[in-house]
Amino acid sequence: MTLGELYLIPFFIYIFSYLFLLSKEKKFYQAFIFLIYAGFIIQSLILVIWFNLHGFKDLISVDWIVFFNAWLTMMVVILFNLFYKAKYILIYVTPLALINLLIGFFAPHNYLTMKPFFSSLDQATLITHIILILIGDSLFALAFIISLIYIFQERRIKLKKNLKLFDKKNHPFDEVFYRGKGYNLELLDSMNYFCLKIGFPLITVGIAMGIYLSSSLFKSFMIIKPIEIMSLITWLIYAVLLHERVAKGLRGKKAAVFSIAGFLLILSSLTFSFYLFPEFHGFK
Amino acid sequence: MDILIIGLSHKSADIGDREIVSKKLLTPELRQVFAKKLLNLKDEGNRPLINELVILTTCNRSEFIMDLPQWAVGGNAHFIKDYISGYFFDKKGSDNLFYMHLNFEAIKHLFSVASSLDSMVIGEPQILGQIKDAYNEACEFKMNGQVLNKLFHKAFYCAKRVRTETKIASSPVSISYAAVELSKKIFNSLSEKTILLLGTGEMGKLTAKHFIKCGVHNIYIANRTKEKAHHFVEESFGANEKNYVDVIDFSEYYKLLPHTDIVLCSTGSQDYVLRYDDIVSVIKLRKQRPLFLIDVSVPRNIDPEINKISNVYLYDIDDIGKMIEDNLDIRKKEAETASELVEINVKEFMEWRNSLNVVPVIVSLRNKVKDILEIELSKYISEKKEKDLIINSLTNKILHEPITLIKKAAVDSNETNMLETLKTLFNLDLGKEIKNDNTINKELEKGFDNKNNSSRIKLIK
Repeated sequence: MTLGELYLIPFFIYIFSYLFLLSKEKKFYQAFIFLIYAGFIIQSLILVIWFNLHGFKDLISVDWIVFFNAWLTMMVVILFNLFYKAKYILIYVTPLALINLLIGFFAPHNYLTMKPFFSSLDQATLITHIILILIGDSLFALAFIISLIYIFQERRIKLKKNLKLFDKKNHPFDEVFYRGKGYNLELLDSMNYFCLKIGFPLITVGIAMGIYLSSSLFKSFMIIKPIEIMSLITWLIYAVLLHERVAKGLRGKKAAVFSIAGFLLILSSLTFSFYLFPEFHGFK
Repeated sequence: MDILIIGLSHKSADIGDREIVSKKLLTPELRQVFAKKLLNLKDEGNRPLINELVILTTCNRSEFIMDLPQWAVGGNAHFIKDYISGYFFDKKGSDNLFYMHLNFEAIKHLFSVASSLDSMVIGEPQILGQIKDAYNEACEFKMNGQVLNKLFHKAFYCAKRVRTETKIASSPVSISYAAVELSKKIFNSLSEKTILLLGTGEMGKLTAKHFIKCGVHNIYIANRTKEKAHHFVEESFGANEKNYVDVIDFSEYYKLLPHTDIVLCSTGSQDYVLRYDDIVSVIKLRKQRPLFLIDVSVPRNIDPEINKISNVYLYDIDDIGKMIEDNLDIRKKEAETASELVEINVKEFMEWRNSLNVVPVIVSLRNKVKDILEIELSKYISEKKEKDLIINSLTNKILHEPITLIKKAAVDSNETNMLETLKTLFNLDLGKEIKNDNTINKELEKGFDNKNNSSRIKLIK
């Protein structure tokens, strides 16, 4: 079994878990949550096996990074779920991990060799850079989904349309996923803010490391490439968002729109980075 | 002797139209002025068109419950409706906003309204109190009489039966409950939130109490008359609830707005209490923290434009009503049982009302028989006491069966010809025969209250 095929195990577990949502019984909804956790545990096992086989030396592989990103996304979501007791985010964010796993399966499995003139410090910096950026991106991915829910729910409250006031109070789905309370804007906004508060410093340090690597590799503080420009624009968006939140109390819909715009830029830069123009990131 | 109800409600008119009517009936004085105008309506023969009148005004409905005299016919009902419509609206076609129910339908409608089957939120308890208030006001203005007294007491009885014998009020669905549920959609935890209650309306009180039940510990109440607010707190809240309620000066409520998360407006003001510009500055001071405004007053006291401000959510009574429409399945099922109870009570009332028509016939018949016996027995018995005893005894024996049948015929609407036949057979001249007879009053008073206003009932809150 190849590594790519291994990615399909959690992929199909996640897909299978969604079938349980079609049911109308509480035990099936709980089975969905159980399967999501099971999928995450299997993802973790694959990660451990991979580390045992390869260590850090073969880290730079597109499929592995995408798989690692899927694992990080699930870890962030599960931690959030435990912390905020909002099980519904599992339903909405798991598809992001699913997409990552699918991309991981189809992505090239050959390892990108690090430039021979990378020192061991540079290599450690590169790994840290990747991990920090990926954790930050996972948090922003979560903020993106939460923001979409926020905008959807805020619109319903504002327009007073399609708003199920009691969320089928006695329906097991509501009981399991919403704790009988449904979405509330304040909690969604608070989760969004939390993602930003944690994600932004990680991204900042990650980008700083990227700049350091760039200067170390190309002997220049910065080379004008789309990925760098986009990263900086993304960073700037999140910086403005954080500043506005802290200084002016920006929250609610505008903050959600910022989060969505920021994550769409992240997606664009990642697409540029890995799939369309890998040379722009300096991999080749 | 027809019972007529003309009115408009959330089912026939939108909030804007209801506001127009409600503004013109806002105070007891305004209602009294209009009531006098209605009671002074005359037909072509210069006879009054309305005997008795009760004006019911709530957030969701304005109704005129009338007892018409015998001479008032169908055309008069339409004339009254046009008059009412013309009083409130200048626009053409406004009479379509009003519904009109006569006799059986009218009684059924009133009983359904009292039993909260016609409310925006089926089973909500406020409506019965509001109907009692309306009835008491009619007593104060001396607009009530035998028929409406009986009708309203029967309505209260019916509402009580519906409430106790069905589960219509058991599932927690009401405007106040909906307001709290909506708050939970915006705020994560209500316990740390601050609520400002403007005004001392019934709906505001219920909503505030519900918020306290859900863990809110900071409620400020502002009313134009501070003493009234203190009195309101004393009367409306229990000892524990009072710990969470504070009365503030009405002039200070604006200062409190930046620190308030939920504003509950239930004043009787005719103008907006909160305007767009006020809230724009408040939301800046709040650093965009969400602000939830609930306007349960009619006419509306919060400018609807406010809902356009970012992070501000405004719900008026119609909005909340629409929200809960879909969530009333349980109550709707119970309402079916309740409707059967209402039907039974309506039939009982109709029987009583129809029996009123035969009372003059019965009295007249008794008098006729008594007169005959009197003439004949006078020939043989001279002692008056003994003679009266025999006359009464014989009258009762002779007429027992016929009276039972007459009463039965009165209840059965198909038997109306029987009364006519009786009148013809015995040559009964009702007007002449019963003129000086006290028996008719006794018969009329059987089973219902006196016409005088001492029948004012104590409200069961």
